[in-house]
Amino acid sequence: MKFLCVPCDQPMKLAEVAPPDRGSLSVRYACPECGYEMAMLTNPFETQMVQSLGVRIGPEANPPGGPDSLAAAAAGIVPSGAAEEAKSSGGKCPFAGMIPGLSESAKDGAAAGTNGAATAPVPWTDAATARLESIPSFVRPMARTGIEQFARERGYPAVDEKVLDEARDFFGM
Amino acid sequence: MKGYHDIAGDGGSNVLQQVLELEGRITANLAQVRHLVAVGSGKGGVGKSTLTFHLAALCRAAGWEVALLDADLNGPSQARLAGVAGTVPLPAADGRLALPRARGGFGVFSLGSLVPETEAVEFETVSRGASHTWRATREFTLLSEVLERAEWGRLDALFVDLPPGAERVVQFADLLGPRASFVLISIPSELARGVVTRSIAALRSAGRPIAGTVENMHGYACSGCHSVQPLFRTGSESRSEGGAALGDVPVLGTVPFDPELARLCDAGIPVTERPDLPSYGALQATARVLMGLFEEERPR
Repeated sequence: MKFLCVPCDQPMKLAEVAPPDRGSLSVRYACPECGYEMAMLTNPFETQMVQSLGVRIGPEANPPGGPDSLAAAAAGIVPSGAAEEAKSSGGKCPFAGMIPGLSESAKDGAAAGTNGAATAPVPWTDAATARLESIPSFVRPMARTGIEQFARERGYPAVDEKVLDEARDFFGM
Repeated sequence: MKGYHDIAGDGGSNVLQQVLELEGRITANLAQVRHLVAVGSGKGGVGKSTLTFHLAALCRAAGWEVALLDADLNGPSQARLAGVAGTVPLPAADGRLALPRARGGFGVFSLGSLVPETEAVEFETVSRGASHTWRATREFTLLSEVLERAEWGRLDALFVDLPPGAERVVQFADLLGPRASFVLISIPSELARGVVTRSIAALRSAGRPIAGTVENMHGYACSGCHSVQPLFRTGSESRSEGGAALGDVPVLGTVPFDPELARLCDAGIPVTERPDLPSYGALQATARVLMGLFEEERPR
């Protein structure tokens, strides 16, 4: 979809993606010639269609993970690449309701595992977090839950890359 | 006034370019995969998943490096077949997705590893009551992510277990690209053969290569008298020992219905561990034909 400023005959540029509101995105465009601004307001069906494509919504200048991308992620617009749904505010695992033992708070976007001492959160090192964020978003919450359980059962104080490698070996991958 | 094609990009997110870049990353991640073998039918309940798993296991046992992608997101069964239900893929050192391995040592991606059989596969959505408008797109995006990020490595064949739907095989052909060749599973009933024929027509009209068909449930392997008895008594089963061809598409093999094989499937055990079964020889012969076909030349 493209937008044209008719008086200037110039393509309008995406300027900002506002925080989502009840499934609707507000995307502001501006004409680089005359500065005229307009906003595209999506309905939930349109938002969902874009979300289903797995693409980022935001100005070209913003790299993945930038502010606008994160705003889109909160609406579920960034299923791949830019943000960790289980950590970002409002983000959710698409299958959260199906993860056995996953607490309601985890389903609502907090890190998995807040159901008492047996599921106390295990801190992750930055390197381990980066590895987790590199895999498809729909797997991350379940991978996180499984790895934290693996670490907890072995008394590891944190999840680092060594723990990830050990878990992989343990599960024969 | 400028038209759509007069303007480069879309002035913002460049959604089309993002989709094209994803296709490029999929191609790159599959660069070391020699053959993409998509196993479908069009008809449901003919044993696509069962045959896909055991053919992959037999190819692995014969020396091929293989992996398996369960593309049936609404009825994922490869996790149970491979004995990896509940074993979640993990992040590998290179940022790819390390896959659970079936007995026999090949990687398997199936949503059944992530979602218990007691639960339906559902996606989070911001739009209520309109899943028919976006769900298929979301499913193909998920499969794209797996194709792009899974740690396939150097493979002789990546087997892809397709969901039912005659016309849907073409959608999967588009997802997998021109390198994919199709193996279609049928059974000796005119009903099933009709649907598979429709799948062949759909693939042909899209110009996609079809390696051949496999006729499953070609007779019943009786454990009492140790012989294969007629199961359908009509159609191709009675016409040909080697299975009746559908048009000019070659028959790669026939496999009898084997209750003991069904038990192995429930337990996550590949047929390679039970060479005494009547279905073993038929599946092994089919796997050999398939391997020979791909070693000789790419199917047309």
